[in-house]
Amino acid sequence: MIRFSNASVTYPNGVSAMKDLDLEIADGEFVVIVGLSGAGKSTLIRAVNGLVPLTSGELNVNGHDVHALNRAGLRDLRSDIGMIFQGFNLVDRTTVLKNVLMGRLHEVPTWRTLIGKYPQADIDIAARALARVEIIEKTYTRASDLSGGQRQRVGIARALAQDPSIILADEPVASLDPPTSHVVMRYLQQICRELGITTIVNLHFLDLATTYADRIIGLRDGVLVFDGPGSECDDTVFESIYGRSLTADDTMTKHGAL
Amino acid sequence: MAGSKLRSKLRSKLRVGLMPTPPNQPAGVELPNKPVATFRWVSTALALTLVLWSVLKIDAKWSRLIDAPGDMWTLCTVMFSSMEANKIGGLLGKMWESIAIAWLGTLIAALFAVPLSFLAAENLVGRPIAWVTRQIFNVLRAIPEIILALAFIPIFGLKPMAGVLAIGVGSVGTLGKLFYEIIEGINKGPVEAADAVGASRLQRLRWGVLPQVTPEITSFLLYRFEVNIRASAVLGLVGAGGIGSALAQALSFKDFGTAGLGLIIVVLGTIAVDTISGAARRRIVAGSPRIVKPDLNDPTQSETRVDVFRGN
Amino acid sequence: MTTLDDAPPPVLPAKPGVSTFAVGGALIAAALTIVTARSVGFSLSEIITNFTRKNSPAEGLLHPDWGQIWSRRSRTAFIETLQLAVIGTAIGATSALPLALWSTTFGNPNRWLRMLVRSCNNVIRSIPDLLWALLFVTAVGIGALSGLLALFFFSLAVTTKLTSDTLDGIDMGPIEAANASGASLTQMLRTAVVPQILPSYTSFVLYNFELNLRASAVLGLVGAGGIGQRIEFFRGAGRWEELWGLVFMFFLVVFIVERISVTLRRRLI
Repeated sequence: MIRFSNASVTYPNGVSAMKDLDLEIADGEFVVIVGLSGAGKSTLIRAVNGLVPLTSGELNVNGHDVHALNRAGLRDLRSDIGMIFQGFNLVDRTTVLKNVLMGRLHEVPTWRTLIGKYPQADIDIAARALARVEIIEKTYTRASDLSGGQRQRVGIARALAQDPSIILADEPVASLDPPTSHVVMRYLQQICRELGITTIVNLHFLDLATTYADRIIGLRDGVLVFDGPGSECDDTVFESIYGRSLTADDTMTKHGAL
Repeated sequence: MAGSKLRSKLRSKLRVGLMPTPPNQPAGVELPNKPVATFRWVSTALALTLVLWSVLKIDAKWSRLIDAPGDMWTLCTVMFSSMEANKIGGLLGKMWESIAIAWLGTLIAALFAVPLSFLAAENLVGRPIAWVTRQIFNVLRAIPEIILALAFIPIFGLKPMAGVLAIGVGSVGTLGKLFYEIIEGINKGPVEAADAVGASRLQRLRWGVLPQVTPEITSFLLYRFEVNIRASAVLGLVGAGGIGSALAQALSFKDFGTAGLGLIIVVLGTIAVDTISGAARRRIVAGSPRIVKPDLNDPTQSETRVDVFRGN
Repeated sequence: MTTLDDAPPPVLPAKPGVSTFAVGGALIAAALTIVTARSVGFSLSEIITNFTRKNSPAEGLLHPDWGQIWSRRSRTAFIETLQLAVIGTAIGATSALPLALWSTTFGNPNRWLRMLVRSCNNVIRSIPDLLWALLFVTAVGIGALSGLLALFFFSLAVTTKLTSDTLDGIDMGPIEAANASGASLTQMLRTAVVPQILPSYTSFVLYNFELNLRASAVLGLVGAGGIGQRIEFFRGAGRWEELWGLVFMFFLVVFIVERISVTLRRRLI
């Protein structure tokens, strides 16, 4: 379970990206966060695994006060939280398998990672993760030889290989075309439902949000302005979240038609 | 292991992991066959054999290796404890001489290398001429300046001129190679444009080629200057003038204090030249300095990227 | 309307001034040249007279003794030079990788330690190879060991700089991913950073080997082993033909090694 209590984040340059946030996310929920760029979506997601520290307030993840964790504790926390990035963040020069095995780093002793000999059990976990996103035939392909959609699937596999209880996805489909975006979102939804992993996704295409989310959270200038089921979200709601009228860029179908 | 303890506490008891219990196990997940990287294995094996052979066969007194750090330490303490302030002036003058030798040598090399490099660029003069010029460059590159210095000293005497010419001749090869590679890498557009308006060969050079290559050439010249500072310090060790000769002399007369002082001056002087030259080079290649601020309105840029690895 | 009107031509916008940097730079360069030429006693006429005068090095140059390759002593020196270069590169260039990683922001979060490593790197880089050799010969004694130690530091200097420069330009994405998954610093470096620079790094090691081969040839001039000692011997005895023969033979070998190295390097990048 994730609970923000009166949480705020102010960056060194003075920008206030989170203002007095109160939010509770139960285990197994599929949550989508929407808002303009700079509204604080990225900040919220990165606060969950401690990449962005809170300036004030409290954050409790799975029973732990994130602020009170030391470096080792943060690493332990992060090993239980998988993260998926807009830019995929794969090591282009190495194989898909090596990339997915990065998800096992926390569990594998350092000397083994130094020489590159991972235990068979961990390789099996990686294999299962690859099978789940249906990309196992590309195991020994270089990551740079894959398409965008395939790379994101590897990113998901890497997160899955951690065997996490939470998955954070920061704009996972922003660099992908519409059909591929749906494929990726469907994987995330399936994983959440079948494996019970709490999933938080940042999206800026509103139609994707309403299609896949159980719960939508709207942020504006670091403040929570909407929290409810996708069914309650129509264009008026989104306009109030964005603080402006919607354009073609805000929906994937209309954007794709451009 | 500490990690597992915390993780079992964190994990909810009702959550189903990736690995369901045996009865539900899906059909064996098999990875495809792993390709064998022959080239990598063979070359690593060869390299290791070479290293092993060298280590075993070299005629070095390994026993002295244990004492080496101690000996070095003793030398350093002796050098730096008996430095005399009155020697600074003379040594600085010698360092200046080394800088002068490096500067002039680089310039002379440039003087010959720039026109020659045009003769080595395939996109300007055609294959045969280019090939000949390139081989000349290769030969000149292969001979270290110090050997040239050894040859020039009997001709010019134990004077800085020997060093200047040694560096000059030696650098023509490297500079020439770098220059022709730059010239060949240029955008054909301006050259074609010059041809289209009917420019002569020389004009084409001046207006089509030169504007594109001048910043990079200047930058490389400065880089070569930095390298040649070290070369000229070294040439002094065999007597071609500069701080090297002062150092060699001091050490042979067991005047360790002066040697220590000289060493410090060499280090500081080289770092100083490197810094100034490096800054000049960056400025030349980049244009005027601009301060780039992160764009917070750019949706593709994470606001927090900078803090990702700080302290965690 | 044609461009060749009778009407007065339009006024062009104000011409931007010539860059002060360029002008200043050119002036400094010119001044430096004049001053240095004076210090060094540059005289074109002197150069020409000296070059055209009869002298032994030039004569030896015209009749190099190609038989040097068959001389047993020279061959032993050849091999020693090769061995010095190999070991120096192996130990020095491999140590350069951790040192370079240690000087980056992501590899060394501790600011003071990082500054210390960077300063050490700068100092090591500013001492030329032969000077290292001279210092070690003074401290440890004549012989191949001093040459080895000198090449170790020289290799550190060269490879660390090149690797640091490459590390400045890597993709931070995988680093963020590794940190987000709870990997330790060493694991992160090994899986997210090293694979990115491995081809470049290997190329630098090969380049370093080429440099070391050349350097190890001259280390003997100050007594640190290799064919440098033979060269010094011939020079002292004024036997220029043999000296040039040795030099050419050796550098033919170096040339061949370089050709191989360049082809290998091209395959990496």
